[in-house]
Amino acid sequence: MRLERGEISSSQLTFLISCFIQGALFPLSLAFPISKHDTWLALIAAFIIGVFIVLIYIALASRFPGKNIIEINDLIYGPYFGKLVSLQYVYFFIISLSGYLWFIGDFVLTFIMPETPIIVIMTMFTFICAWAVRKGIEVIARISVIFVFIPGIIILLTFALLLKNMEFTNFLPVFEVPLEDFIQSTNIIMHISVCEVLVFLMVIPYMNKPKQAKRSVLLGIISGGLILLTGMIRNIAALGPLSEIVTDPSLIAVSLINIGKIISRLEVLVSMAQILLLFIITSVFYYAAVLSVAQITKLRSYLPVVIPIGIIGITLSLISYDSRMQFSYSTMYITPILSMHIYIVIPLVSLIVAKVRKLPQRNGRN
Amino acid sequence: MGVVLRYLIKKSKFLKLLSQNALERKKQEPSQDGPNTPTNLSQSLKTNLDLIKGIIGNNYDVVIREFTFERQRQVNAALIYLSGMTDPTIINESILKPLMFESPFTINSAPKLDDVEMIRTTMLTVGEVNKSANIDEIVDSCLSGSTILLVDNCHEALMIMTADWKSRSVDEPKTESVVRGPREGFIESLLTNTTLLRRKIKNSDLTIESMKIGQRTKTSVCIAYIKGLANPLLIEEIKRRLNDIKTDSILESGYIEQFIEDAPFSIFSTVANTEKPDSAAAKILEGRAAILIDGTPFALTVPMLLIESFQSSEDYYSRPYFVSFIRMIRYLAYAISILAPAIYVALTTFHQELIPTPLLFSMASAQEGVPFPALVEAMGMGVVFEILREAGVRLPRPVGQAVSIVGALVIGQSAVTAGLIGAPMVIVVALTAVASFVVPAQTDSGGILRILFVILAGFSGGFGIMIGFIGLLIHLTSLRSFGTPYLSPLAPLSVSDLKDSFIRAPLWAMIARPRTIGWPDPKRQEFRLKPSPPLEEDTQSK
Repeated sequence: MRLERGEISSSQLTFLISCFIQGALFPLSLAFPISKHDTWLALIAAFIIGVFIVLIYIALASRFPGKNIIEINDLIYGPYFGKLVSLQYVYFFIISLSGYLWFIGDFVLTFIMPETPIIVIMTMFTFICAWAVRKGIEVIARISVIFVFIPGIIILLTFALLLKNMEFTNFLPVFEVPLEDFIQSTNIIMHISVCEVLVFLMVIPYMNKPKQAKRSVLLGIISGGLILLTGMIRNIAALGPLSEIVTDPSLIAVSLINIGKIISRLEVLVSMAQILLLFIITSVFYYAAVLSVAQITKLRSYLPVVIPIGIIGITLSLISYDSRMQFSYSTMYITPILSMHIYIVIPLVSLIVAKVRKLPQRNGRN
Repeated sequence: MGVVLRYLIKKSKFLKLLSQNALERKKQEPSQDGPNTPTNLSQSLKTNLDLIKGIIGNNYDVVIREFTFERQRQVNAALIYLSGMTDPTIINESILKPLMFESPFTINSAPKLDDVEMIRTTMLTVGEVNKSANIDEIVDSCLSGSTILLVDNCHEALMIMTADWKSRSVDEPKTESVVRGPREGFIESLLTNTTLLRRKIKNSDLTIESMKIGQRTKTSVCIAYIKGLANPLLIEEIKRRLNDIKTDSILESGYIEQFIEDAPFSIFSTVANTEKPDSAAAKILEGRAAILIDGTPFALTVPMLLIESFQSSEDYYSRPYFVSFIRMIRYLAYAISILAPAIYVALTTFHQELIPTPLLFSMASAQEGVPFPALVEAMGMGVVFEILREAGVRLPRPVGQAVSIVGALVIGQSAVTAGLIGAPMVIVVALTAVASFVVPAQTDSGGILRILFVILAGFSGGFGIMIGFIGLLIHLTSLRSFGTPYLSPLAPLSVSDLKDSFIRAPLWAMIARPRTIGWPDPKRQEFRLKPSPPLEEDTQSK
């Protein structure tokens, strides 16, 4: 029996992934101090490498149509060792959930509500995500259809309005940073944006046309990536060397807009769009965490674990991070290295083992 | 403690009574088949008359007319009808006259006078005549306006359709008035309403099915749809939900609405209503079904989409540009009506830096002596406005004006001069109030949302509004109305249906019916209907 009854269409998956990728624009500011004004090149490199990694995920998913990653692990590694592998995924989902919860809390705290305790913000946000998760992936996907155009339009609009402030000499000299810094930045960007598509291994099985998964995922990544690139070029061109220093280049860049004292304060729009996108990302991670826990523990419905996972997510984020500096440090120097294991090693090994064992064919019930 | 105990005991007694009644009713039903209360008519006219008199005889409006007919006045008969619900001319001219004066039979020539079929086929000049032997059926039809003819030695009665009563004439609807478009509206008589529909759609596929709901009121309910255009599963589902209504009274379509809606706890209505036949016909032609209820001018249409609230029948009668503009104004007005006070509260309480400096100064000077925080002000003014509105709606019109004067002067002017509330807040609330009347179908949901958003904004500013907005979207996307996603065509997205959402495309461009509703027969019209001047060759040849 399937835990999720809803179905999403291929276009909804595209929109969902596009939202998911676009939401990385704010966390991407973490890569600026390392690769400086060459970050846009790192972004392109990360997306090119990332697409190949995503192809591994899609190959894995399309080998076992209708099965999510937890079920796939059980098939590939057997019921016991498979659980061990699955637990790592659950850990990854919950860690990402708590990271994003902390990010939204910190973001709101810094720019919107400076005097509110972070736990209140996180609780409100978790509550709204829990509501969406309880309604199922169908609802999250449909909301993404509405949300996907808002940030894109805002980014294009602010790009046009900022043209006056832009200096494209800011990009010169190209490829100034040392190669190791460039690689490190690429890895961070991959870690923050493209490779997180791994979480969609919990979503792809619920498509109504699983054969179109590859097309929709790649379309979503490319469209989201182009918007990211636009936003990043806007930031670098408008801010120049400043973009490496400020915490959120997008907000600072957009706050430069002041046309005839009428069109100004557009950073409100940007932060609104960012909250909407962070909602989509957090909900997807939340959903994956909840669904995978329910799958491992063989529950009949995932609803009972929604609230506990939310509480765990909040608690974990409060335990893990003390300050913005610590969060930045761990996202810049620690997690990108650690998460290679879950992003690249395990999926690749899974795919190879599945190929060697010729799994889906041998297993009659697939 | 004692009070609680007494309440519990009372409640348990009441529950017992409820369940007992149900049991007794079950027991009574089989006992009706017994010898004391027969279900069928007997041969003797006197027994039958006594039986029916026993059921409805002691009523003021029941008329029982006994007479004899046949050439030699040998056959006894009786007419039973309700005066006031029947047409006396039909009874006099088409029932009594043929029977008493133009009867072709003598007692000998009459082939088989106990056969009421004979009377029905040869003597009555009325259109609809049925026969039955079941007492319940006979009494029911008498109560809905039929005249009952009982003949001696017959075990069956004729139910002659003579229903006719005073009703309002077809009038301009009060709720959906239009500048351009038909001015007729549904009225309280079901038959007139179905006629109005049938006159719009002269198609053999237009099906109007009828059923009776309400164990005591026996209200007639009709489902109107176009066969082959409405989804058969939808019709099946509507019938199932209507059949499941086991209540004793249906007095208005709102009763039905609350029994069949998908999300009874949602603040959004998932069943649409209309008072205009042209609007109902348009919805039926899109593949929806209309539910018409006797005794009310409001017809229900299902499934309902959110965007229907922002559409008006007039949109399709005017040219597209201005209509598209008005549509966007409606969406904007709805957004203002639910968000304006919340945004004002958030700005003044948390995000003063977002207000341009000159405006901030004038707002601050206006707020200067005001003793309350913005949240309290907004809530208070919101409640005062709702009180004024409700008072104005219920009162007779001359008194209603007094209310508006008192409201405008006292609340608007004096409260500001007295320094109880700031002038900007009055402006915001007034704007909200006017905006909330732009979309009448969503006025009730807007009122509740406005309060929720103000509370969220008062406690957590812009972030609270965002949270509320996301929550609203989650709720809306999870709603369904008879299987159709409530937020379509937006989510799930169907691009072709967006032609009739935020904008209204020209009629010739809307080739397909809404995909989520009219899919059994998607094509509405031919392609290439765009009007264009004749080609030059054609004009030259002429």
